[in-house]
Amino acid sequence: MFENNFPVREIFCFFSAEHDKKSTIKNTKNLYMKLSIIITTLFFSIQVVGQNSEDFIPRDAVTVFSINNISLLQKISMDDLVQYEFMEEVQSELFDGSTSGKTLKDSGIDFEQKLNVFYGKGTDHEVSGFTFGIKNKAQLFTVFDDFDKIESNIPAVEYYSSLSNHLIIKGNVGVLMRVEPLEEKITKYTDSLWYSRGNTSPWDENIDDSEQLKDENNILEEEEFDSEMIDSTGTAVAEEVEYSFPDASENPNEKNYNELKDSVLTIFQRQYLDEICKDLFLRGNNLKKSDALFANQLTHKTEGVFYMDNSRNFKKAESFWYLQSVFPSLFEEVNELYTGNVMLGDFILSDNSIELKLASNYSPELGSIYQKLNDSKFDKSILKYIHECSPAHFSYNVNLREAYEQSYKVIVPILEKQKDARLSNTLLTVKLLNEFINKEALFDTYKGSMFGTFNGIKKVKTKKIEFQYDEDYNYTEKVIEGEEDMPLFVFGLSTDRPDIPNLILDHISHLTSQCKNYGNYWKFEDAILESVPLFIINKNGLLLFTNDADLATNHSDGYGASSLSGKQAKKIKKSGFMYAYADWSKTIEKLPREMFTNEQSEILDAMREKTGVMELLSSEATDRKTTFEVVYNFIDKEANSGKYVLDLVNSIYVLLK
Amino acid sequence: MKLKLFFLSILSLFSLGSCIEIFDDLTIHTDGTGTFKYNINLSSSKLKINSILALDSLDGKKVPSIQFIKDEIARIKAKFETQEGISNVTIESNFTDFLFKMKCDFTNINALQEAIKRIVSEENLTKNMDDLSHSWVTWDSQKLTRSIPELTINKTKELTENEIELLKQGKYTSITRFDKTIEKFDNASAKLSASKQAIMLQTDTYSLIKNAKLLENTIYLSPLKN
Repeated sequence: MFENNFPVREIFCFFSAEHDKKSTIKNTKNLYMKLSIIITTLFFSIQVVGQNSEDFIPRDAVTVFSINNISLLQKISMDDLVQYEFMEEVQSELFDGSTSGKTLKDSGIDFEQKLNVFYGKGTDHEVSGFTFGIKNKAQLFTVFDDFDKIESNIPAVEYYSSLSNHLIIKGNVGVLMRVEPLEEKITKYTDSLWYSRGNTSPWDENIDDSEQLKDENNILEEEEFDSEMIDSTGTAVAEEVEYSFPDASENPNEKNYNELKDSVLTIFQRQYLDEICKDLFLRGNNLKKSDALFANQLTHKTEGVFYMDNSRNFKKAESFWYLQSVFPSLFEEVNELYTGNVMLGDFILSDNSIELKLASNYSPELGSIYQKLNDSKFDKSILKYIHECSPAHFSYNVNLREAYEQSYKVIVPILEKQKDARLSNTLLTVKLLNEFINKEALFDTYKGSMFGTFNGIKKVKTKKIEFQYDEDYNYTEKVIEGEEDMPLFVFGLSTDRPDIPNLILDHISHLTSQCKNYGNYWKFEDAILESVPLFIINKNGLLLFTNDADLATNHSDGYGASSLSGKQAKKIKKSGFMYAYADWSKTIEKLPREMFTNEQSEILDAMREKTGVMELLSSEATDRKTTFEVVYNFIDKEANSGKYVLDLVNSIYVLLK
Repeated sequence: MKLKLFFLSILSLFSLGSCIEIFDDLTIHTDGTGTFKYNINLSSSKLKINSILALDSLDGKKVPSIQFIKDEIARIKAKFETQEGISNVTIESNFTDFLFKMKCDFTNINALQEAIKRIVSEENLTKNMDDLSHSWVTWDSQKLTRSIPELTINKTKELTENEIELLKQGKYTSITRFDKTIEKFDNASAKLSASKQAIMLQTDTYSLIKNAKLLENTIYLSPLKN
């Protein structure tokens, strides 16, 4: 796997060539070889001393969770651990029942060292895994029992591999890693090889196969012999069997498209793994060394730290890739703008709460935009529309007008520097729009601030068909009123121009009878899932969209004395530009799973059966950073706090992946 | 195979606790010919169905589009029309209220039974082929024995209290009509119509899932013509 090209050996080889005397060459080579091994081993042994799990996080990692006090996790069972999404990438064939009933404590992991979960996605490949300390290697391999030892060419490094996971051990540190080349690249190279061999499109001939693969049961059923294919003597009638066999002239050594793709995948997997391993174990590079912010974060004495390099995420995004190829100088400018965009966080665990303190760092230019964006007065009128018993709500308070003006000041000079006709035309369009558009009207209509609430599950009126029978059981169909459960939401925007939404709604009401003005609110029939109405309340400086008929018909001016007030209202006002609140037991359990994407459902599943309150607070933005605080107060004091930490880590991992 | 997907989706509606109303109506004339009607009414769960249809997949299974369901219904209708002894097949689909009504005429009850069995078998709608081995309906011009096929799955152990409650709100109605009057019947839960020419059995979907025999009945007709 690893190439044998260590610098120390090259130096010895060089010297051996200089002293090329036949009589002594054999002895000298042997001596050098032995010396080489001793010195290299010593060199690597010295390097190993003092190196911990955090020193082996690849530079490709973009997101890292480093759990300091992993003794917290000792009570977590391995079976529970492998259920987490952040373990999924590396666990697929790790745990095959041999872990049943075991906890992390039995796994040979050194709890004096950090457990670092990492993930990174580049333009070519994804890398994921975790690094950890090893206390008892024999115990470790009762967990990693599917791994086979493979000879390693890197001194002092042991290498083990399973089907697609790799365990690399150096000293008392283990790195469990999975490297996946991006599908797009694999397809591109496979296609290139496939067509260069004179093949036609693989999909034309594989249509039937792909149809078959859609349903495994179907395959099994089709493979069963049909009774009609058996003659009276019980012999299968060969000519009726539709199976096709390769012609004799076909070369059995020639790969089909999927086999070729597998080969390409394997080659790239090896290449990327090799590059990462060389960087980590030969050149001694790692994320801690390459990013001072991360290194500093690791020194924090909290239960865990979090790191995410947003600037690398931005740069590797498809749009940026396009920018780099088509407008390289503009890419450089934008790149500069995003430099230093790193999120850093600390997990702090107390008796019955977990705090995540996050700092979003950015460049001064980007910071100047964020500062203007967040320079907004809190709109008190939203409080009237949040019920004091609301199980979950959020508010987002921004000044879009100021942010627009600042963005214009930052971005236009960047575009002006570019010497490209297309960009120049874009710039002219931007400048003309800036002059012609009535920005007052635009930003007064949509100021940028918004809020949302979840009002629980309530019965909503629907229409249903009922069969009604007469005395002879002849039936007729009748449309009657029915009721169904539906989660109720309110989504609101601050506006100083209620006349503009009214103008639009009035226009729609002339086009369809489904939209009607009821004075205090507009009602749009069957707007949600073609079954229930959407209510639009346009008053008190707010434009509200809701499916809560009670709010529209009885509380269009707000909940009055039942609206949010006191301590919680003060918290929202003081919490910078963003605030969110969720009472877990009242929210998560009630949310219907089918309303969310798979990723969102995974987060919800992790948080189900939990009780407590989660709050997100933000600080005022400065020109270099904005801080956020997520506080999760769990009520169950007997609960395994380690599990709560993992749930939170998993939620953030899924969100940021 | 695609129809199987559709039926799996319908089954998953059961598991999601959607409220469903099924209604079968069998008319048998003295000469053995007759009409069969089968209605599925999902209108009281249309909010839930619309939210499911808006998804790509549910529990790892692809959610069929309305167009796909329409195509499948048309395909099955065409298949029914080609069955021996079956004629005047109509299937009405209402995708606003999710009401589906199927109707066909048959020359004798065996023709209907065989047609259903053949389609269920060809479309792989049941894994247990024993479901198709026995007769659900027998008719000898004086006595009719009928039941419903046990195609439902006993999933009650996996259901939550809330889902069970919703299933209890679901309804299965089975009506059998004759030209002659009904003299007697075996199922004590059955109710005779005022004219005594029709009989109705009704149960909730939860009980039916637990025990498909609830709708079994043997009906004896009066030997005299009305």
